[in-house]
Amino acid sequence: MANQTEPIVELKHLSKTIRGKKIIDDLNLQLYPGQVTGFLGPNGAGKTTTIRMMAGLMKPTSGEVFVAGKSVQNEFEAAMSNVGVIVENPEMYKYMTGYKNLVHFARMHKGLTKDRIMEVVRQVGLENRIHEKVGTYSLGMRQRLGLAQALLHDPKFLILDEPTNGLDPAGIREFRTYLRSLAEKAGVSIFVSSHLLSEIELMCDRIAVIQNGKLIDIREMKDEGRPHHYIEALPAKQLRAILESKGYEPAESEAGFIIEEGVERIPELVKSVVAGGLDLYAVRPHRKTLEDEFIELTGGGQIAETVAK
Amino acid sequence: MLKLLQNEWMKLWNKKATWVMAILLVVGVAGMLGLTKWISTMEGNRAESGGVSVEGQAEAPDWRKQAEAEREGISAQLADPELSSSREAELKEDLQIVDYRLAEDVEPHGNYSRQQMIKDSSGIATFAMLFAIIVAAGIVATEFSDGTIKMLLARPVRRWKILTSKFTATALFGALLTLAGFVVSIVMSYILFSPDGGTELVVRGGEVAEISVWTPAISHLLLAFVNIIVYTTFAFMIGSVFRSGALAIGLSLFIFFTGSTVSGLLSRYEIAKYLFFSHDLVALAQGMTLIKDVTLPFAAAVLGAYAIVFLLVSYLVFSKRDVTA
Repeated sequence: MANQTEPIVELKHLSKTIRGKKIIDDLNLQLYPGQVTGFLGPNGAGKTTTIRMMAGLMKPTSGEVFVAGKSVQNEFEAAMSNVGVIVENPEMYKYMTGYKNLVHFARMHKGLTKDRIMEVVRQVGLENRIHEKVGTYSLGMRQRLGLAQALLHDPKFLILDEPTNGLDPAGIREFRTYLRSLAEKAGVSIFVSSHLLSEIELMCDRIAVIQNGKLIDIREMKDEGRPHHYIEALPAKQLRAILESKGYEPAESEAGFIIEEGVERIPELVKSVVAGGLDLYAVRPHRKTLEDEFIELTGGGQIAETVAK
Repeated sequence: MLKLLQNEWMKLWNKKATWVMAILLVVGVAGMLGLTKWISTMEGNRAESGGVSVEGQAEAPDWRKQAEAEREGISAQLADPELSSSREAELKEDLQIVDYRLAEDVEPHGNYSRQQMIKDSSGIATFAMLFAIIVAAGIVATEFSDGTIKMLLARPVRRWKILTSKFTATALFGALLTLAGFVVSIVMSYILFSPDGGTELVVRGGEVAEISVWTPAISHLLLAFVNIIVYTTFAFMIGSVFRSGALAIGLSLFIFFTGSTVSGLLSRYEIAKYLFFSHDLVALAQGMTLIKDVTLPFAAAVLGAYAIVFLLVSYLVFSKRDVTA
């Protein structure tokens, strides 16, 4: 759906070298309106560096980031007026009220009125506490305030760096639903980096995987890939022999095997396993999770499940 | 830009520490004048019991005796063959005034007169400087240490504009404190001290002329403010380069307190003239020079040059920096 339209964000030959070490190496990426793109990679792969270059917080060694056709490097103000940023645990001015924080950020954009501020406050559901100091807010409320400041100026492009860090499951779910509706209804292009793969899986239309500073895969979440099944029977050796004789390439998983096969030929396979005198324990459709694919892609590079950084 | 300044001003006054500093300034200045009043009363009492003075007034020993002593002191200094020409001119003017006082019987203001207190009001600048340094040191550094810098810089506003708003807010805060301290000092002078019949004199165009004490009071205050700006700019630079408010405060105050000692030690060398902490403009205007040959315009030029360099360094580092915090 999205590929037919013009990209709203383009990373062109983006590279970053810090102290002689290449952190980002010739990164090219396009992001489209109305699409949520997940950004995955092991720790130290360069996710944060890439995001900071997109948000104008770091300068690329070479290459450029374009937002709505404007270069973040050369036309900073024009480019950034289309960008909203939420960094992990949005750090606000704790000694001021939520409202004053929003007034503060609204003043940095052109033509934002008090009505607009209150509209955003209502959108994120903070009306009741907005005039209290941010220091008294829970993490979830800060996250909402973080979202509010990013949405104030109606950006066409939203960058989220580890947005669900520290949120409880209900909060994560709400956040996810909200982001999806932003993309679908307002046509905002959203770029989310996260360690939480299951999160990305539920939220994104597309994922980009980065490793050692290089983009190693971009894929649409829609194409599910070919169907797989899990089969478990004893003795395992004989099962493997049967599977191989039928032309499968069984991959060991738990106590059984995973084979690439749709539902159509499964009854036939079960019959032959039973006929062979094996004890059949389980046959079920297997859906590769993003985590499996991620580990395959990155060769098991460590995935930090930890929230703290 | 005005909106950015509004932002900085709002953040500044939403911090409790800012209000504490403002209150401390008022209390501190009032306290200093109160202390001076107390000391003057004690001296008055002592003088009374010694039988020199009448009616418990804080009357100094006869001003003529002091003037004679001052005259001798100046003459002794003028006899120094190594005296610089600028210093010599200053001393000659002082001598002219003392001679005029003695000849025409024009009494100077007493040490504890209201006029003298007003004249010395620029002394409040030390308080204002201390607090202005604290604000200057933290205004950039705390954005980094609180992590808010990411929110602040990922906006459609160029970084130099943000830094300018921060520096302007700091300078305004310094000016506000200086002014507030001055006002408190004047008010307390009126409340605590009574005027005397003395007259303030200057040499103008070779002639001795009478002036109001307000003229030196205000000109000294402005000179003191120049010193404040230089120190706050220094603290501002350290704070934005090293992103550490504590370091900036510590270093600035260290230089402020030890600076005169260091430049005193170095005073025989040429380099001492070009160090920013060598120059206290108010002291210079009062004729107290630490280093030979230093005139007020020269000192002001050195300070100006330092302030510009400090600012340039801050701008360069701040706008080039990668935000990794």
